[in-house]
Amino acid sequence: MVYDLELNSVGKTYPDGTVAVSDFDLQVEKGEFVAFLGPSGCGKSTTLRMIAGFEDITNGEVMMMGQNVTHLPPEKRPTSMIFQNYALFPHMSVRDNVAFGLDVKGTPKAEKNQKVDRILDMFDLEKFADRKADMLSGGQRQRIALARGLVVEPEILLLDEPLGALDANLRRIIQNELKLLQRELGITFIFVTHAQSEALGLSDRVVVMSNGVVEQVSSPKDLYRRPNTPFVADFIGSNTLIQGTPKGASSAGFGLIDTPYGVLKGVGKGDESMAVVPAEAFRIAPQGTPDEICLSGTLSSRQLIGSVGHLKVRLDQGGDDVSIEISADRDDVRALVPGAPVTLGVDPTSITLIHT
Amino acid sequence: MQSGILRPALATYTALFLLFLYGPMIVLAILSFQSIDGGPQFPIRDWSTYWYQHLLGLAESSRVSQLPVGESLVRSILLAFMTTVVSTILGVMSAEAFRTKFKGSGPAFYLIILGMMVPGVLVGLGMALLSNTLGIGRAWWSTSFVLHVVYTYPFAFLIMLAIFNRFDRTVEEASFSLGVPPAQTFRRVTFPIIFPGVLSAMLFSFTLSYDEFARTLFTAGRDLTLPLSIYGTFSVEIYPNIFAFGVLTTLFSFTLLVIYGLLMKRFTAKASRFSGQEDAA
Repeated sequence: MVYDLELNSVGKTYPDGTVAVSDFDLQVEKGEFVAFLGPSGCGKSTTLRMIAGFEDITNGEVMMMGQNVTHLPPEKRPTSMIFQNYALFPHMSVRDNVAFGLDVKGTPKAEKNQKVDRILDMFDLEKFADRKADMLSGGQRQRIALARGLVVEPEILLLDEPLGALDANLRRIIQNELKLLQRELGITFIFVTHAQSEALGLSDRVVVMSNGVVEQVSSPKDLYRRPNTPFVADFIGSNTLIQGTPKGASSAGFGLIDTPYGVLKGVGKGDESMAVVPAEAFRIAPQGTPDEICLSGTLSSRQLIGSVGHLKVRLDQGGDDVSIEISADRDDVRALVPGAPVTLGVDPTSITLIHT
Repeated sequence: MQSGILRPALATYTALFLLFLYGPMIVLAILSFQSIDGGPQFPIRDWSTYWYQHLLGLAESSRVSQLPVGESLVRSILLAFMTTVVSTILGVMSAEAFRTKFKGSGPAFYLIILGMMVPGVLVGLGMALLSNTLGIGRAWWSTSFVLHVVYTYPFAFLIMLAIFNRFDRTVEEASFSLGVPPAQTFRRVTFPIIFPGVLSAMLFSFTLSYDEFARTLFTAGRDLTLPLSIYGTFSVEIYPNIFAFGVLTTLFSFTLLVIYGLLMKRFTAKASRFSGQEDAA
């Protein structure tokens, strides 16, 4: 199998010994949309820039379409990069910006014009074609940047927080356009962001990074439901993390863990020392199913946002309040007032056990 | 609160300052319109353009010999032009190098700057001694030229350094990632954006070299540059023709400034829009 992009234990260490990224492994198939997600300074942008060729790679290798590009300069790689600040050429018109890559490559004039016209049309930019790029709004400028990056037909499009400089509304619009565009073109997209919603909403796979290390690579759904590390469990969604001691496996295939709240069951082997309970996994008023875990406590706060109730519950055994997200349509949820006793039920299949 | 005293005081100071700054030039300009039998001082006997005609060789005959500036003017302009080209190219190239830290960049920086810090008399004298020792003939186009470059290059370098400081590197990266090699990226992306800075560097190099005196004095050899030959006329008797010449050279400088201003206006419009782009980011 030849991957579009393959990173083999890629790393970067600065001359002063600071490690920016270490042991980054990733295989990306053609047409995949992969997001690098993490807090600022986690090495996600550095990794993207290593893929683009703007940063030296000090360890490992980068392959594109089976070819080793580790030491190729950016202009020789089949990638195009989109920047947060658009990085348009201020001295050129919109059309010249878009045509620039083809121009330099010496594409015949007729072919060049045809391609540029087509992509301007695709991004709804024909009416601005003769204007200077910097007279336009942020959203339009990012469209120009996308048109400019795509017209040279890269195999892989690299996007470095491309929506970071846009306001929330525009961000949503361009986000939708990106997703449609990527499906239509079938080009591999590598997308760097610190915004969870962008990463989870757009991509086929998410790479979560922290401190220069890959924490987890999985589909947005799995990342949400089955975090692998305490960092991911804490960073993605709103989970309750409960420390405990491993208790082996149960007969039903669950892992067991001894916590201050008693022995909990969850998905795992039984040698893990932390239980992760998503806020949405809690139910108020247990159903009485045989595997269900029951916890009791008192409600410490309640906030209704639209149809979702955000509750905080202090468990009888003490510890931090647990966060709960629950549909607020039900009368029993609406009736709850702080101080009221609550019994929580959790289905063990939604609990994930992880190593710490 | 204090403006009752402070404002008029500052206004007076500014007025005096401007008077001292431009007074000599204005006096010079007025005296250049002295009549044929007038001297290089007030009173003006009669207004005329005689000394301008005299300067340009249009006056019929005169007891005063013509000002020997024709050839030295050509030399000075040529020298300033050569200096401008070399200094600007060096300035742009070395500022480009200083965009990334390299080994020894600190000492290299100060070595470059030294060229504008050291006293011209010393450098000129040193160069004269050195060329004597090495048996190199001194001339405005060789020894003086080298010193002019050493002197003006730091100015060009500093200007370009400031320009690159504000330069948004991602624009170049965008170009690379479109498949454009560094040389073409420089020509078609970087250079057009830094062009206003290049113009400033050129203007500085030209004007500094055009009226450079101390360094040239020791190294020009037999053929003098304009500042030297003007100085030379002071040792004999002074006539208003030298004032006329002063007015003409000032006009020449102003013309350069106007051209510079016009070019800048054309390009800074783009530059300011460029910084607007950064603001939006």
